[in-house]
Amino acid sequence: MSTEIPTNFNYKDIKILKQFLTETGKIIPARVSGLSAQQQRKVTKAIKVARFLALIPYTDKQSRV
Amino acid sequence: MKNYELALIINPDLASRFNPYKEHLESVLSELDFKNIYCENVGIRELAYPIKEFTKGHYLIYQLEGNPPKIADLENKLKYDNSVLRHLLITIDELSSSDSFLTQDTRDSKKLAEEKAHEAKLKNETSINADSDTQIKDNSKSTQLKETEENDNDEATENNNTKDES
Repeated sequence: MSTEIPTNFNYKDIKILKQFLTETGKIIPARVSGLSAQQQRKVTKAIKVARFLALIPYTDKQSRV
Repeated sequence: MKNYELALIINPDLASRFNPYKEHLESVLSELDFKNIYCENVGIRELAYPIKEFTKGHYLIYQLEGNPPKIADLENKLKYDNSVLRHLLITIDELSSSDSFLTQDTRDSKKLAEEKAHEAKLKNETSINADSDTQIKDNSKSTQLKETEENDNDEATENNNTKDES
């Protein structure tokens, strides 16, 4: 699915993080994305930080208000 | 000493007051003995969801060196600062001294928006031309333009399309 998987995920690299989100903004489960448990934990953490800083939506419902 | 990264979303409507405000922020940082290693001025970005009824925000990301006891003071100051829509202070292993993907992304999206606005303007102009009853003149013009410039080619083809429709 993804071409490059970095060893460390950063909340600022939203282009990479968006690969691990569904269209509605949910985090894709590890069993689907194929990431290792360690990688999945890191992605999840980075996505949640990016959400807090309004770089990524929590859900697509709130984006068009 | 510990390494910190401070991400701030600042009121996008500060405009000319932004630079003095940034200096004020930096003086607060230095008062609390935070060493400002690098400041990434990301610029104004569209927020993924509204925060305090703002749909846009000015992002600033500081790379800092500081002492843990001062963190509470800094958090407190940021919390009661009305210009800060949201802040995030995290510890990091290594300080970076270059811009991240975000800055590049905001620049790109800004450029895209400008180009779109420009295109929309051009389209409006051409559609107005096509609407006028001097379509034959336009046609002859377009053949001339084809020979001269590539950029105007788009315009000419558009004119032809509208003619086909009529």
